[in-house]
Amino acid sequence: MAEKESQLDEFEQIYFLRDRHVRFFQRTLQVLPERYASLETTRLTIIFFALSGLDVLDALDVIDRNTMIDWIYSLQVIPTEDESNLSRCGFRGSSHIGIPYSKKGPDVFHPYDSGHVAMTYTGLCSLLILGDDLSRVNKKTCLAGLRALQLEDGSFYAVPEGSENDIRFIYCAASICYILDDWSGMDIQKAIDYIRGSLSYDNGFGQGAGRESHGGWTYCAIASLCLMDRLDEALSQRELNRIRRWCIMRQQSGFHGRPNKPVDTCYSFWVGATLELLDVFQYTNFDKNRSFILSTQDQLVGGFAKWPDSHPDPLHAYLGLCGLSLIGEADLRKVHPALNITQRAFEHLQQLQQTWRDSSNGGCNGQH
Amino acid sequence: KHGRVKVKTTAQQEEEKRKEREKKLKLYVAARDACFSKRKEGVLDEEALQLTQQMLSSNPDFATLWNYRRELLMHQETVKDKDELQKLYEAELSFLETCLKANPKSYGCWHHRGWVSVRLPQPDWARELKLCDLCLTMDERNFHCWDYRRMVVKMSGVSVEQELDFTYRLIGSNFSNYSSWHYRSTLLPLLHPESPEQNCEYELVQNAFFTDPNDQSAWFYYRWLLGRADREEMISCVYVDRDDERVAVAFSRPVNVSVLLIHNRDNQICVLPPGTISDTSNEHNLTVHWTEKHTHRDCALYTGRTESYCRESATDQELFRSELSVEKTSVLQSELHSCNQLLEMEPLNKWCLLTIILLMRALDPLGYEKETLGHFQTLKEVDSMRSAYYSDLCSKFMIENTILKMEYAEVRVFSISEKSLTTLCHLDQLLLVTHINLSSNKLQRLPPQFAMLQCLEVLEADNNSIENLEGLHNLPKLEEVLLKNNSILKSLQPLASCPRLKRLDLRGNPITQITNIGSELAELLSSVTDLLL
Repeated sequence: MAEKESQLDEFEQIYFLRDRHVRFFQRTLQVLPERYASLETTRLTIIFFALSGLDVLDALDVIDRNTMIDWIYSLQVIPTEDESNLSRCGFRGSSHIGIPYSKKGPDVFHPYDSGHVAMTYTGLCSLLILGDDLSRVNKKTCLAGLRALQLEDGSFYAVPEGSENDIRFIYCAASICYILDDWSGMDIQKAIDYIRGSLSYDNGFGQGAGRESHGGWTYCAIASLCLMDRLDEALSQRELNRIRRWCIMRQQSGFHGRPNKPVDTCYSFWVGATLELLDVFQYTNFDKNRSFILSTQDQLVGGFAKWPDSHPDPLHAYLGLCGLSLIGEADLRKVHPALNITQRAFEHLQQLQQTWRDSSNGGCNGQH
Repeated sequence: KHGRVKVKTTAQQEEEKRKEREKKLKLYVAARDACFSKRKEGVLDEEALQLTQQMLSSNPDFATLWNYRRELLMHQETVKDKDELQKLYEAELSFLETCLKANPKSYGCWHHRGWVSVRLPQPDWARELKLCDLCLTMDERNFHCWDYRRMVVKMSGVSVEQELDFTYRLIGSNFSNYSSWHYRSTLLPLLHPESPEQNCEYELVQNAFFTDPNDQSAWFYYRWLLGRADREEMISCVYVDRDDERVAVAFSRPVNVSVLLIHNRDNQICVLPPGTISDTSNEHNLTVHWTEKHTHRDCALYTGRTESYCRESATDQELFRSELSVEKTSVLQSELHSCNQLLEMEPLNKWCLLTIILLMRALDPLGYEKETLGHFQTLKEVDSMRSAYYSDLCSKFMIENTILKMEYAEVRVFSISEKSLTTLCHLDQLLLVTHINLSSNKLQRLPPQFAMLQCLEVLEADNNSIENLEGLHNLPKLEEVLLKNNSILKSLQPLASCPRLKRLDLRGNPITQITNIGSELAELLSSVTDLLL
């Protein structure tokens, strides 16, 4: 009897170490270890993980908001006077190109300076999280930059000179349009066609047509359709039920991203949020999910790793928190499953959008 | 836990580290600026190639640099001859191999390799396939590699048969190769566009799941192989009522349309003017057109009849069977036989149980009802993590069976009690139902689609956990609503739109504890004469 009790105690010893996670994200915002150098071009996404992570932990007070906001705005690609670079606008990942920090436009047109669709998305989210009113965002040029990235088949490049194109960037584009409350930034129908074309025989979504189903791409597909408010239009009830089935089978303890792969903390969000959007998250097993996520918690430095006994990183730290938030972990803010920011930040966005609509006298610009 | 011990650095060591970092930064900035100033000056030379190579080795996802490098290479195409170009691009491929060894999942590297391999004066597709083979032996789930392979196959004209052989070999050496099964699913329809399944393909899959029944790859593939037909969109039912002078139309999925109602093949109308059909001595022919789907449904209202209807028979349409293609009954039977054999050996295998349930529902949902319920019970124990999902699925199947039984009996009473129902569905099939009994289940709400039960007169739903009645609105014939022992606390507003409601039983609900609720409800629901609290 006593043995059983101590076993139970051990099980309950997995505490959620809030303060360690706060410090983990604080460190992320200050200095990153050398192995992150290869991610320099996408540094803004790492900032987003840290900021949104702190938001979920209700610990944004540890940041100097204004400095952060200014830094993010310094990453915005500003149009030249003759507006010849509109198709290159948006937000950069960091200062790696070497453009001097300035709040005004560039003196000279730099041939390799352009926004990156994922940076624009995380940049806008980060600004919202910090409570900014997006008044310094040049919406017109962001949307022009976005339009320049969409291909005939409906998918998006990440940068205007070209890159790989797939469903991830459709998600970024949909989020940008949703946040800016302006869908002129993309051809929705083409995007829907590409998404539908990515549905695989086993009812998950691949990166594109003919490609293997994956929890991350399935999230991009479903979240995009929800943001566009076209979920029931684009997919039949039968298809939705099949997708639900594929997704719900991803839970092993935590979740994995593809069949026969090991479980990984980040999928507790990617698949969990998809299930939430499809209204069936309540059918998953919360205890096993929680136990797995906490088993990847780093008790020393904070954060979460993809697997137990591995090094934590900002992405898994953030998505681990979001996974816990979805199952209702105490003291964590709720996360908006489609936009991947807290409900609090989302409500801030809603208020902003209301003021935009009010000031434009109820006119709709390019809304579907 | 990691066995790492933090080394305390002295101030001097820290200073050394800082100097090293600065030195690295200077080198990086110099290289970067050199690149871009060269570009600015229009210098697209070998040195630039060197510089970008240096930088991309450590930063393989620097998209801008890959683009610059592609510009450099394209410029080289204008000044070099074919042999030199071949050498240049072969060197590029070698460079990419080293990048990929370090970063087998780098988007930038794979994308660039794809770009390079089509530009070689003499492409060596065999080499590219070998590279893919190598990458896959290291990680057979590397989707970058699979995607690249598909491109190579397309460019070099490798035949579908050859690729099917390749997947066959991979699957043969390791059944648990989900990516190979996936690839196979895209290849098979190319070879056999009409009917993807063949006996040998079934054999292959069966071998796989007999060998390792716990591996989901084969089961998912199997399910796909057994075929599927998408249900046609249609008008499920048209119902006409002379007394209320109403036409009700049920669709197979939620729609937002304006319908065309044609009366006696003459006028096109959407609204029947008052008095049009109320005289029972007249016969009327009505047609409802759903123009978007090019489909319609007729309904004749005969003399002396006060109502009429026309609907799709769930049985005839084999509505609930079209998860799997129905023509192949013999195939389904033989597959069921095989799966049952496996179940004897592996009675707790969830994939086997699920597949058997699926096959039984396709073959004879009513005939196999008892076994299906038994299998669901086992399934919930064996895969308890998903037991809530299985309850939901089971509810759906029980409702389908009840609809079928109702049709066979040719009655308009829908009764499904004590079946642990957790959810309601297929409500579009219940337009004609007059009496519905859902008592002693586990329902929590009557969803919006419930309002489709336009002929409903009596609702019995005692002993559930219903909190939400949002679907109980605008039901013109509803007279009795029995909701004893549920969880209703508020939101009875929808009932106010049911003009014939006479009897309402709310005993055993938390709402009865509210003071003065009796008079409040009497005011809200003026037609009710029999209110039980």
